[in-house]
Amino acid sequence: MPKRIFQAIDSWRERREEQTKPWYEHSYFVLDMETTGLDPKQHQVISLGWVLIENGAIQLDTAQHLLLDSAEIDDVSVGIHMITDSDVMEQGRRHESVLRYLRQIMKDKILVVHYSPLELGFLKSLWQTQPMPALAFDWIDTMQVEMQRRSRAQEVIGDGGYRLPACRERYGLPDYPGHDALTDAMATAELLLAQVAHFNDHAPSLQELVRIGGGRARLSSNNKAP
Amino acid sequence: MAAIDIPEVLKFIDSTPPFSGLTSVQQKHLLGGVELTYARQGEKLNLEGSRATLHLIRRGACEIRSAKGGLVDKLADGDCFGVSSVLEQNPDGLQVVVLEDSLIYRFQKDGFQELLQESEEFALFFAHTRTSRLRKLSRAHATDLATPVLQLSTSISQIMARNLITASVTDTVQQAASVMTDARVSSILVLEKDRLVGIVTDRDLRSRVLAVGASADIPLSDVMTHAPASIDSRSLVMHAQTLMSEKNIHHLPVVESDHTPVGMITAADLLRHQELSPLLLINQINRQTDITSLREVCQQLNNLIVNLILTDMKTTDIGSVIAAISDSLTRRIIELGIERYGAAPFAFQFLVFGSQARKDQSLGSDQDNGMMLSQEPTSEQAQYFAKLAQFICDGLAQCGIRSCPGDIMASNKKWRLTQDGWKQTFANWVEASSPSSLLNASIFFDIRCVYGDENGVTELIQDMQSRVAKTSLFLATLTRTATASKPPIGFFRNFLLESSGEHKHQLDLKHQGLALINDLARIYGLGCKRYHVATKDRLEQAAREKLMGLDIARNLMDAWDELNELRLQAQRQHWQTTGEPSAYLDPSELSSLERKHLKSTFAIIADGQSAALQRFARGYA
Repeated sequence: MPKRIFQAIDSWRERREEQTKPWYEHSYFVLDMETTGLDPKQHQVISLGWVLIENGAIQLDTAQHLLLDSAEIDDVSVGIHMITDSDVMEQGRRHESVLRYLRQIMKDKILVVHYSPLELGFLKSLWQTQPMPALAFDWIDTMQVEMQRRSRAQEVIGDGGYRLPACRERYGLPDYPGHDALTDAMATAELLLAQVAHFNDHAPSLQELVRIGGGRARLSSNNKAP
Repeated sequence: MAAIDIPEVLKFIDSTPPFSGLTSVQQKHLLGGVELTYARQGEKLNLEGSRATLHLIRRGACEIRSAKGGLVDKLADGDCFGVSSVLEQNPDGLQVVVLEDSLIYRFQKDGFQELLQESEEFALFFAHTRTSRLRKLSRAHATDLATPVLQLSTSISQIMARNLITASVTDTVQQAASVMTDARVSSILVLEKDRLVGIVTDRDLRSRVLAVGASADIPLSDVMTHAPASIDSRSLVMHAQTLMSEKNIHHLPVVESDHTPVGMITAADLLRHQELSPLLLINQINRQTDITSLREVCQQLNNLIVNLILTDMKTTDIGSVIAAISDSLTRRIIELGIERYGAAPFAFQFLVFGSQARKDQSLGSDQDNGMMLSQEPTSEQAQYFAKLAQFICDGLAQCGIRSCPGDIMASNKKWRLTQDGWKQTFANWVEASSPSSLLNASIFFDIRCVYGDENGVTELIQDMQSRVAKTSLFLATLTRTATASKPPIGFFRNFLLESSGEHKHQLDLKHQGLALINDLARIYGLGCKRYHVATKDRLEQAAREKLMGLDIARNLMDAWDELNELRLQAQRQHWQTTGEPSAYLDPSELSSLERKHLKSTFAIIADGQSAALQRFARGYA
């Protein structure tokens, strides 16, 4: 028992040390999901788009865009995302393999999303769909980072001013007409780079980033992994 | 997944040359391993090691600067940089500074290099980018007068003759010769179905028809040069020149990509074109053997200056170019004078004062000069120098450098002195320290040697500097005299200035702006331990020796650049429309932004003046 406590303390200390390193020494998994609605309990994930940030730069070759099968597509999401049932059938992957793939990639990386309640909520419910090993990770929410920065600078931002395109506009980032999961993941990754570049004139540590707009999360499955 | 499969990446690459011209396989290859980075305003980008590679700006703006900080190029969305760091390890030490926050693609070096090998068009694009940057770089180097590059990189289509003289292959030699005679040209293009198939020159008619006794009725196809060398209309002058010297030809048809001729360029065109390069002008000056021919050569000077201004050359560079030319001209005239009157009885130096010394002449600058004799002349020797000096000053005036209205010229006996004589003259000015004696003497404190042993002049300057250092009243008086004229700060509010005469309600950029900064720089420059003569050098030295805050110095340098640029542009406009190089500016021609700038520029001068009064004139009021 004491041994396990020591191990836990060691890993905690290790993680804390890791966190004090500058942000660019870490790898980031920038994710966006398309869903059938806004409630993780009712709605489902249709597709996932992601890209990695390594050595402080977006590695464009790591971009992925996956559609999940068994999602019920309603007319609204067809309208927004132009995804139809046949797309899902053709390109859809089996849930299980997608989640294993996801878990493999997310390991040892920091999750980056824009508006964490939604994205974390959907990730958690995805993890419930399959027997999966647990996964713990640090996360950063570019929306929270933005809100913190603006409130520290005592800037008043109006309604809708923290939506992804509005945040990007403040940094002079280009306007992307598409809103599929991959484009939004790219857009979020660029936003993070911009936010970091504007960080009080020094390269922040991961700790500083997590402190102003992030946290730690654990995904686990009720079904025990085999 | 490859980067090219990301819709936003594909869309951008597909609409950005030269990437848009690549096949999708090539695009995919180039984009392998591409990274997207974000750089913040003011950041100096690292282009070493793995980052010595091709970069493409997705959104933002950057500047390329030379190792010394001169602006080479400004880049924005869709522009590339880093090419020379890939190909040649960045031999010119170019730096990229982010002007606005930028999103930048960073490509893998290997993929880029392979594509350069594979696609000629792609490689040509970057070769061209590189040449044009080099051209701009040569403008950024203050010392580099190799402006022929600037001329050589002009497009062929700008200087070619467009009135084509053509004949058909079936025309006879006789017909062609008569067309050529009528059109007074020395060559004719031979066409078949509108496409260029041959050329016949005067020389061909001589050697292939007359010399061999051929009949005038034979068809052109028998005497023409088949499939002659030609050049694409998009090429640069330097390509034409290389081709002509390689093939030893004097006529070069200019064609479209499908061989339709669109123009003709001759060796004479190239020569004429090059006459307007500073280096060539200097060469020509050095080759002339009398004043009359020098005068002819110098008639190009003003056009050259206008050209330099038009090409947006930096103002300090224009100053150095004009100084280099006036110095050469002065030296050449001195040499001609010596040829005429015989060798000087003993060594002497030719001194220049004022703007030529400071290297900030512009169109229509006056001459201000003098002589320093290495010993007291006998009356006979004095006569020699009088004649020589008269010859020099007259020569300069004939070549377009006008006589000094205040008679500060070597031809004036007062300004032909021995070193001791000059030392004494400066001593009198410094020690008398009276406003009236300094009023017209200040330009003597801007002094440079253009002929003879410089050491004598350096000694004179040192002597003068040490007297200045001992006589604090001098700088106080100089400061009060100089700050008596104030910058026209209220100008834009009530248009108060120059309320009489021809230039009523106009702004005199030289006397109300530049001269004030020159005066300030002189005061600080003389207060410095190390002597500089150029205004910006003086300001920099003053900041270095902590006589002046770095802020004020930088602001004044910027103000000087700005006013100088406005002055040159104003002069160019007046010169091109009226033939008079007036430096007056009509404020109604300025945009509101320019007015705002000018207003803050004047405020900077006013700040500089009060700082100078504080430092040098306190207690002497």
